[in-house]
Amino acid sequence: MQKMSYVKRSIITAACVALCVILPMAFHSIQNAGSILSPMHIPVLLCGLICGPAFGLLSGLVGPLLSSLFTGMPPMAYLPPMIIELAVYGLVAGLMISLIRTKKLYVDLYLCLVIAMIAGRIVAGIAMALIFVPGSYSMAVWTASYFITAWPGIVIQLALIPTIVFALMKARIIPERYSEKA
Amino acid sequence: MRWLPAGRYVVGNSLLHRLDARAKIICLLFLLAIVIGTASVGSYVLALSAIGMIILLSQLPLRHVFGNVGRLWLFLGTIFLMNALFFDSENALCSWWIFHLSISGIKQGFSLVVNVLLVIILSNVLTLTTSPNEITTALESLIKPLRLLGVPTEDVAMIISVAIQFIPTLMEETEAIKMAQIARGARFESKKLRERALSFMPLVVPIFLSAFRRADELSLAMEARGYRNATNRTKRKKEPFVWQDYMALSACGALCLIQFLVLR
Repeated sequence: MQKMSYVKRSIITAACVALCVILPMAFHSIQNAGSILSPMHIPVLLCGLICGPAFGLLSGLVGPLLSSLFTGMPPMAYLPPMIIELAVYGLVAGLMISLIRTKKLYVDLYLCLVIAMIAGRIVAGIAMALIFVPGSYSMAVWTASYFITAWPGIVIQLALIPTIVFALMKARIIPERYSEKA
Repeated sequence: MRWLPAGRYVVGNSLLHRLDARAKIICLLFLLAIVIGTASVGSYVLALSAIGMIILLSQLPLRHVFGNVGRLWLFLGTIFLMNALFFDSENALCSWWIFHLSISGIKQGFSLVVNVLLVIILSNVLTLTTSPNEITTALESLIKPLRLLGVPTEDVAMIISVAIQFIPTLMEETEAIKMAQIARGARFESKKLRERALSFMPLVVPIFLSAFRRADELSLAMEARGYRNATNRTKRKKEPFVWQDYMALSACGALCLIQFLVLR
């Protein structure tokens, strides 16, 4: 999925960053959509999967920042841990998609997504415990905030991201990963 | 959604509004260091007076400056209670089950809550006195030293500016897709939370397809015109710092030094 030109990957990253601002606004009528459905995670994970680790990292760093500046969501106080979490999502998703090749696109995508989601949550938890709320952050709080509250978002991401990748491939907007099987 | 969100920027002509956004961001970093470095009564007095002075200089209505603080009461209350009840189990004033209320816990909780509040107020003042476009242009300028580490800062700046250009276009598309889905029977206004959440799912895939199609078309057009990357591009406008920017930077730097060298 990385046979695209540098310019195309840059512009797709810009589109993903813009979606980081737009999706939370589209979801704003649902109460607590930000923490439960995590709409901003979808473009960042997609960017990592489609454009590679560097662009994924960039969209994770810039997306929440722009969203906070333009819409006030997330509030600045929540921004640093969120930036760390999303940057790791984009980076790890991009790294994994270049490392994992099982010859089955679905398996590749799900493995990359699961590893990226776990890595992002672990790094964000470590950052919370060591930097942002040192001394008052526990395993229970981490599990509750990153897994129990966010489970609908996790399910939505696992269902939607492979679907979007397939739709983009079918529309020939991004190249096929295993073209010989197409 | 047919408008470009202007962030939380409040139009004004105060000294803070007129300062260069780059200087404001650097001052914010100094002030965050002052807040994080609070350890004694003197250091709190310094941080509070500095922030009070900044609010006065910004000439912003207080309801804007403290606007979103009220919404965070649950978050701040939880931080305070967790510290007050779990911080020190050996010198507890009173204990029940796993809870140990202690003076040191109350102090720790109070200082954490005050620090979070001050950080929120400072970032509010920045976003209320600086437009999102000014902030992103300033960020583009401030990340330039990363070029020494091999980061293509011009490309990063190009991506940020294209993203900003995309926002209003994609918002209109989102609105159009939303209307089309309503015409097909989607129930975005349903009172049932589950129904409303599920109704958004058919919205997401078309939004992504539309955004990626636009990105594809734009990149094709850019490549057809010979664009390769953003290195060595020039800017139409270069605005140097003026004396007010240097004054603000010196004042914040001096306060930071006082905090860490004298008051700690």
